[in-house]
Amino acid sequence: MAGRSQKKGTSGAVRNYITRTRAVKKLQISLPDFRRLCIFKGIYPREPRNKKKVSKGSTAATTFYYTKDIQYLLHEPLLAKFREHKAVAKKIGRALGRGESGDAARLEKTLMPTIRLDHIIKERYPTFVDALRDLDDALSMLFLFAHLPSSQHMPAKTIALCQRLTREFEHYVITSHALRKSFLSIKGIYYQATVQGQDILWLVPYRFVQRTGGDIDFRIMGTFVEFYTTLLGFVNYRLYTSLGLVYPPKFNAQSDAQGGELAAFQLQAKANATDGETNGHREHPPINPDAQAIADRVGAMPDVDVDGDGDGDGEKDATAVAAIPAEDDQDEPTDEIDKFEPTAPDADVLPQPQASSAEVASLFAPFTMYLSRETPRASLEFILKAFGCKRVGWDGILGDGAFTTNESDPAITHQIIDRPALSNRAPAQDVAETESGDAAAPTVQWPYSTMPGRTYVQPQWVWDCINQSKLLPPHLYAPGAELPPHLSPWVKPSKGEYDPNLPLEAQQPDGEAEAFEDDGDEEDAAFHADRGEDMHAIVDREGSVEVGEGMHVADDDEDEEDEDVDDSDDANAVPAAEEFDGFDSDAESDVSEGEAARRQHQRELEAEATGKKLEIAKPTKKEQNAAIRKKFDKKRREEEEERERQKMMLSNKKRKLLKRIEYGENKRDTESEQLRRKRARLEKARAAAEAV
Amino acid sequence: MSVNPRKRKVVTRPAPEPSDSEGELADGLLEGILSHSEDEAADDSDADASSVIEGLSDEEQGDDDEDSDEEHIREEMQNLNTSDSSLRETKGISTHDMDMGTGADGDLDEDEHLKPNYTVTTDAHGNTRYLYREIDPVYDSDDSDVEATNTIGNIDLKYYDEYPHIGYDINGKKIMRPAKGEALDALLDSIDIPKGWTGLTDPQTGKPLNLSEEELDVLKRLTRNEVVEDGYDPYPDMVAYFSGKQEVMPLSAAPEPKRRFVPSKHESKRVMKIVKAIREGRIQPYRPPGEQDEEQDAFNFDVWADEKPRPDNTMHIPAPKLPPPGYEASYHPPPEYLPDKAEEQAWLDADEEDREKEFLPKNYDALRKVPGYETFVKERFERSLDLYLAPRIRRNRLNIDPESLLPKLPNPEDLKPFPTTCAALFRGQEGRVRCVSIDPQGIFVASGGDDGYIRIWELLTGRQVWNAKLSDEEAVDAVQWRPTKDASIVAAAAGEHVYLIVPFTLLSPDVEQASREVLDAGWGYAASKPSTTTNGEAPKQAPGKWSRPGTLLENKGVLVQIEVRSAVKIVNWHRRGDYFATVSPRGQSTAVAIHTVSKHLTQLPFRRLKGIAQTAQFHPSKAIFFVATRNTIRSYDLAKQELVKILQPGAKWISSIDVHPGGDNLIVGTYDKRLLWHDLDLSNKPYKTLRFHKEAIRAVRFHPAGLPLFADASDDGSLQIFHGNVVGDLMQNATIVPLKVLRGHKINSRLGVMHLDWHPREPWCVSAGADGTLRLWC
Repeated sequence: MAGRSQKKGTSGAVRNYITRTRAVKKLQISLPDFRRLCIFKGIYPREPRNKKKVSKGSTAATTFYYTKDIQYLLHEPLLAKFREHKAVAKKIGRALGRGESGDAARLEKTLMPTIRLDHIIKERYPTFVDALRDLDDALSMLFLFAHLPSSQHMPAKTIALCQRLTREFEHYVITSHALRKSFLSIKGIYYQATVQGQDILWLVPYRFVQRTGGDIDFRIMGTFVEFYTTLLGFVNYRLYTSLGLVYPPKFNAQSDAQGGELAAFQLQAKANATDGETNGHREHPPINPDAQAIADRVGAMPDVDVDGDGDGDGEKDATAVAAIPAEDDQDEPTDEIDKFEPTAPDADVLPQPQASSAEVASLFAPFTMYLSRETPRASLEFILKAFGCKRVGWDGILGDGAFTTNESDPAITHQIIDRPALSNRAPAQDVAETESGDAAAPTVQWPYSTMPGRTYVQPQWVWDCINQSKLLPPHLYAPGAELPPHLSPWVKPSKGEYDPNLPLEAQQPDGEAEAFEDDGDEEDAAFHADRGEDMHAIVDREGSVEVGEGMHVADDDEDEEDEDVDDSDDANAVPAAEEFDGFDSDAESDVSEGEAARRQHQRELEAEATGKKLEIAKPTKKEQNAAIRKKFDKKRREEEEERERQKMMLSNKKRKLLKRIEYGENKRDTESEQLRRKRARLEKARAAAEAV
Repeated sequence: MSVNPRKRKVVTRPAPEPSDSEGELADGLLEGILSHSEDEAADDSDADASSVIEGLSDEEQGDDDEDSDEEHIREEMQNLNTSDSSLRETKGISTHDMDMGTGADGDLDEDEHLKPNYTVTTDAHGNTRYLYREIDPVYDSDDSDVEATNTIGNIDLKYYDEYPHIGYDINGKKIMRPAKGEALDALLDSIDIPKGWTGLTDPQTGKPLNLSEEELDVLKRLTRNEVVEDGYDPYPDMVAYFSGKQEVMPLSAAPEPKRRFVPSKHESKRVMKIVKAIREGRIQPYRPPGEQDEEQDAFNFDVWADEKPRPDNTMHIPAPKLPPPGYEASYHPPPEYLPDKAEEQAWLDADEEDREKEFLPKNYDALRKVPGYETFVKERFERSLDLYLAPRIRRNRLNIDPESLLPKLPNPEDLKPFPTTCAALFRGQEGRVRCVSIDPQGIFVASGGDDGYIRIWELLTGRQVWNAKLSDEEAVDAVQWRPTKDASIVAAAAGEHVYLIVPFTLLSPDVEQASREVLDAGWGYAASKPSTTTNGEAPKQAPGKWSRPGTLLENKGVLVQIEVRSAVKIVNWHRRGDYFATVSPRGQSTAVAIHTVSKHLTQLPFRRLKGIAQTAQFHPSKAIFFVATRNTIRSYDLAKQELVKILQPGAKWISSIDVHPGGDNLIVGTYDKRLLWHDLDLSNKPYKTLRFHKEAIRAVRFHPAGLPLFADASDDGSLQIFHGNVVGDLMQNATIVPLKVLRGHKINSRLGVMHLDWHPREPWCVSAGADGTLRLWC
């Protein structure tokens, strides 16, 4: 009873996959429409485990989708919209062909279907947390487009929508103090916020004209932007309502036109809004937006004296802290996390959150910041406000919405400056004074004059402060000072990897320091020329480095001394061992060490006999290094040998697996060794420069 | 064609030429003005002739020209006939150069090609004048379609107002003024045309056909497709025959129906329908769709109002997040993260796809100096491509501690003793050392090498105590001490000779005596007891010829020489020391020979051997003999004379074998870098295959006296020492542990360690290297 022979391609893996061409045919849409559909629905190609089986023996490069995915697409309402769109497009095309542009406009206005993606949002992200998890790309993309000029592919409306949504999101982050970390990279500024337990990381470009080369398809980007705007809109709605705010917030177009950016939005609490809603369309009397803005500002800061006599600075700060909104009121002692200290040094240390969110949220709360006009206002404003600073002022040319545009305002506690210090001050000061002569209040113009009691810092101070959740000493970041290196807050140092925060000696394996020192000598001359400037850039970060931690070698000096003596003799013993050429080197050192010990003993005996005191020849630094290095080399070699021996007994499969694992490890090790080597070199160069 | 005869007439005039040339030569004046040669003069005369012809044949030129041409001809005729003095004049007048090569011969033609296209003469005022030759329109250039344009140049015509010509052509002929239209018009005006004249003839009358004005008008209309009739209006005003105008007297007297006075029920129904729809909101008044409110309405509800978590679907793979930036991405990174020049160059040179990082770390000492990132949009675009185009695969990260993979081996300290270091180096051999053997007492080491010497060394000191040159051209390939302690005999093989040696200078007299007795016992045995085979087949050559090697060697201690048929490579003793086996891979049937010392007898145990024999060995306890060919190892029972077992190590080329002293295990070294352990009880396939050498394995050897050690020697210059413990329990397999790699021998022309041997008691071994040294490892 032979069963009926089955036709090829009717069962098994073939049925699970469908090529792109077949999928397009099945859905009866064009390829660009298929692409849009895939982007909206989040459908991506799959890689079959066995390509040959799926493609009926052919091995040509093909894109495969899951048949099920495509099957679901068949019932997608968007598909009908696409077809409708196509029909209308045909009609419009016909009208245009007849030269009936009025007809075409009417058709476009009335018949063109609008595509709504809310059901897809709901489908792709069944829970709100799912949506938050996927917000990284959405935010990065929208922040980019908020900074792009409008073009043929990107209508101004879309750009405006991107700007609106991103600023609304920023407002949420500010009000909820959700921002955790930020990082100034060469690509742009990274921000990380934690919303409902989800870490959201996004990248905002620096405000320059973006280069949009030829091979960028803005239609694809546009489709993504369309989806992401919908997503972020609904996310914003949910976030705002969760805070009890009205969404969308009131938008002040005039302020926006004057570069108000964040200040163009006015958040409203829900209660008022619902009152208004019940009355149908609310009728707002036409208000002067400037007056409104001032009124709001005054309302927000009840205690700041605008007239500007700078006497009660301390009090003012205190009151300001007190006036920080009700979120900070959770001061009950039961809520805080207790600090667990290990009692014994050998115990593991579990990570604990260092600062409570409330503490972090009020990091900059007591300060009044002023941004000089060369600083990136938007990012600084966002960060400062997100970390509790309510009073951020800036130069008038940076746009609308500043707390103050008067640089000489005595309320200002910190001024952020990104200008080099002037080398010759005196004449400039005169000019400043003559200028300020006619003004009523003295206009403070850094660097011509400084306000007493005001802290001048560079922008990096803000970023380093928030990343470490504490206020760093501002003198390290003084204008014109060499800044400490700006480090990424996301790198978690793992075992064996290089960590720039730790002193070099703490992370070097045994014997490496000496090795570096030796080969440093050789390269020293060449190196000096290259990195003369760079070594100035090294500034130790205060607090993170324990300076007193000595070299590992220096710790056990007493043991070392004896060995050193042996080893210095060892150098003499080497030529003696020369005749055994091709010796195993560990054998050599064994022999020579034994020999050295014997000689030493002999010498001691002789000294005893003659009654003289045996004087120990102090070995030079280089010899010491060589000796230490040799010792560790030997140890390492022994370990390697042992490992090699173990590897011999592995099965082929396991050996290959081990090889793969070791490949990654070795790569990481060499990388970190490279970094350590460079740092050792830099440190040496710096020490040399200091000595001079 | 009428030209030709005249031309010929003119040209063929050889008579006056010589006189011309002579005259020219004679005339000094001419020489000064015209630096022309004899030929040139001839040419000139020819040219004159042709110009005449041309002038005559030119049809376009006017009468004046013709006249002048005729004059020229006349003049020239005179010149030709008259004396030389008139030649100058001719030159001045003649305007044409010769270009028709009709009368000239080939040489002349060629010369002409080389000459410039003009000749220099003087004009009437005595200035130089360039006379251009006419271009010959040869067959390949057709200028018939060239328009005849004015050739008078850019000269205002008003200068010629009072002349009949308007300029000159290239030949200097006058171009006559063309006839003007005025003359024609005047002529036409003078002719009178009768009224209605058409120029046609009436076919009926045969008289000229004249048409009247009316007739002409009709014709004109017909040609214009108009109605011929006069006063016809194609678009008359509409006359309203039927109108809505109420007549005074209606056609019907019927009264107006009632329905004309009551409101329509049907209409009210329809209106009510609409009213209802409006009330219900089904119909809404038209409002132009505002764009503003549309947007505002977009996000006005909570999509996640009733959220329900979806169960995890294994098929769904969420898009991986981009990794957060590292230290090197900082605008002001620690200086050690900055690339140096070489790294930077390498990054720049690399292809964009091959770069490990997509950016080059850079340091800016202030935030204001940070420029925009060039490929920001591109990176974002690539990310979006990845999101919708890249297939996603779930990869299991290997989170295995590599240490856990490595097997737990017994501590090498527990496996001690084994050789670890080189204790002594034996120098003095020239060329490669091919074989080495330690005597059963463990005092001496015998070695043989390429220099044809057999040398004996003291094991502990490395001092050479005895040597003998066995062969001048052959290398000593095998050396083996007889394994018994009562006598001290070395068997050595060089070429086709096997020597049995008693190095008596090293021995105590009684041992020496015993050794000599062992060897001498067999003398004459063959003669006294001739083998049975000789009876039947009388002249058959014995496989081995036992003899004395000669006094020189005998004085050294080399007592017996055995000559076999082909070069011996391997010598192995039986444990009792009465037999030894030699293997000479070249000799097919005589490859393996067993020699009996007590009888001075050589036997060939195999009539025919499958494959090429590589090595042979006696079983340490039983009467079993192992023969290794290239691929297989066969064991024969010597007593029953039958094949016991065929082992198949799966090797391509076996180099050496050794049998464990217990007799149940066997190790095989191969030239294809493998070391194989055979358990004879288990299978004919290897129990373990070890591949730790990078080059061929030349020798393998078990420790002879019960220490669980074995070693192999390889061409990569190293020895590997293994722990190989064989337990008596049949249920337990042998444990093999690699112990030590001993390096020290130098590789010499791709040969490293040639041979090795163990000390009979101690965990020491001696290796023979291709670098000409022996090494003692302990």
